[in-house]
Amino acid sequence: MHKILSNKLTIFLLVFPGLLLFIFALFVPIFLSVYYGMTDYSGMGKLNFIGFDNFINIFTNDPVFWHSVRNALLLGIGFVVIQHPLCIVFAILLDRIGNKIEKVYRTVFFIPCVISTVVTTKMWVNILDPNVGMLNKVLDAVGLGFLKQEWLGNPKTALLSVLFICIWQGFGWGMLIYYSGLKGISEELYEAAKIDGATSMQVYSRITLPLLKPVIRINVTLAMIAALKQMETVYLATNGGPGDATQFLANYLYIRAFSRFEYGYANAISVIFVIICLLATIISNKLLASDKEGY
Amino acid sequence: MRYGKEGKNRVKINEAKVSTSNKIIIAFLTVFAFSSLFPLIWLLDFSLVKAGDLFASNILIWPDPPLWSNYATAWVDGKIPQFLFNSVFVTSLTIVITIFVSITMGYAFTRMRWKLSKFCLTLILLGMMIPIHATLLPNFIVFNKLGLINSYLGLLIPYIAFGMPVGTFIMTGFLESIPVALEESAVIDGCGVFRIIFSIILPLLKPAMVTVAVMTFLSTWNEFIMAVTFLNDDKLRTLPFAVMNFAGQYSSNYSVQFAVMMITAIPSVIVYIFLNEQITKGVTMGAVKG
Repeated sequence: MHKILSNKLTIFLLVFPGLLLFIFALFVPIFLSVYYGMTDYSGMGKLNFIGFDNFINIFTNDPVFWHSVRNALLLGIGFVVIQHPLCIVFAILLDRIGNKIEKVYRTVFFIPCVISTVVTTKMWVNILDPNVGMLNKVLDAVGLGFLKQEWLGNPKTALLSVLFICIWQGFGWGMLIYYSGLKGISEELYEAAKIDGATSMQVYSRITLPLLKPVIRINVTLAMIAALKQMETVYLATNGGPGDATQFLANYLYIRAFSRFEYGYANAISVIFVIICLLATIISNKLLASDKEGY
Repeated sequence: MRYGKEGKNRVKINEAKVSTSNKIIIAFLTVFAFSSLFPLIWLLDFSLVKAGDLFASNILIWPDPPLWSNYATAWVDGKIPQFLFNSVFVTSLTIVITIFVSITMGYAFTRMRWKLSKFCLTLILLGMMIPIHATLLPNFIVFNKLGLINSYLGLLIPYIAFGMPVGTFIMTGFLESIPVALEESAVIDGCGVFRIIFSIILPLLKPAMVTVAVMTFLSTWNEFIMAVTFLNDDKLRTLPFAVMNFAGQYSSNYSVQFAVMMITAIPSVIVYIFLNEQITKGVTMGAVKG
């Protein structure tokens, strides 16, 4: 047994193809990014090695970069403060109904999450359109016509609109994760609390929420990372505009590389972007681990 | 999954216990579900009426009769068959290869004994944290040099590479729960590792394979930013592109545009409705690891 399981050739055949592909498509690019990030490459022609100039510029002299970071944080806060409380409430409600209806609604709420972002984003672009969009028509119909806007074209409302689209699209994911977290809480606890005369409010605040805490942490982590990685919706809805009002990191580096032909600079942003994502994950994993010890 | 069983128990208790408050909850959920899906209803509605109807002040219009011809136009002028074929081709290859690679790797990580096992597993799982967007720029240059731009391989390679971490994670978890006894007796009977994987492990891994397949399907089928970056030939482009293309070409023909969007959305919704349980499982398993 032992001999067969430590056969070098077998191990090589099992691991090598996948590992090679993985390193080629994921790790090599990151190292290349570090390299290109230290050059003034435009995407074609000659390139000069300029050391850490790009990185220094990003940190000291690039308001759009910081604006993108700020927008990611705002989106993260939007997820945590608006989306997640809703997710938890609806997960609890769903969990309480039982039978077939529970399943039907669980399915319905998740539908936006399985549809391509291209479709949902373009749909919202049309809904928010000042000429044909549904939103302005609805506002007219309920007598709030004075609120009518060019939602994605006005710098004041564009960011809010983009955040709203992201929150709408991600609602189902968040809810589904809370929902399965709730399924992990033993029914006996609820029964015992009922017998002790707890009101349903007490049950939720003393039993459900505390026991859901690990799931909340995971979900909040996922939301923050999703906010950092946001690109598709912004790319399709506003491409960061008007101005750079709705700029996000991934979209920003894409624009710098492919529209402004500052490939080297864009790669430097890309490197910082990876580091931010890794740091966010590591920090939140640390928080998660300390949470486990607490129990 | 553990919660599956407990869920069933709870259903019974609930049915007996609450019913009037249930009705209120259901009514509330219905209102919320309706308003959160209303944009999609709006999209469907206006894909079935005349293009100009969207300029009227109505919020919805009863399609009388529904103009299915919009879908026919979308299908033909939107080059849907071409895009659909590419999507099906790229997605199915990605799924098959991702599953295959995840199983062989998962097996090596859980059963085989080698020094770098832990290290390699960590490396692969690290892939879950790397944003695809950070690989776009360097991969564009590399793929360009290797002639992979504008080829199916240019999509397949990154799709598989990004599907692998989650796939391997799910397979490793599942393999750990399978007792080794079966394999031990197979070894005594003179089976090699590959025979073991294909004749003993594969049938047992079916549920995990379905989960990985479904997760890979959703991410690949809907992926779009790499497709934009690595392809610029309509012959190779995937379905999300139909929407982009059409929005440019027929910018004022909203009905047909909306029909293209519906056609793009429908396959994943159908897959979701059929494989609902597996997707739910996949989402929560993926989340536990983060």
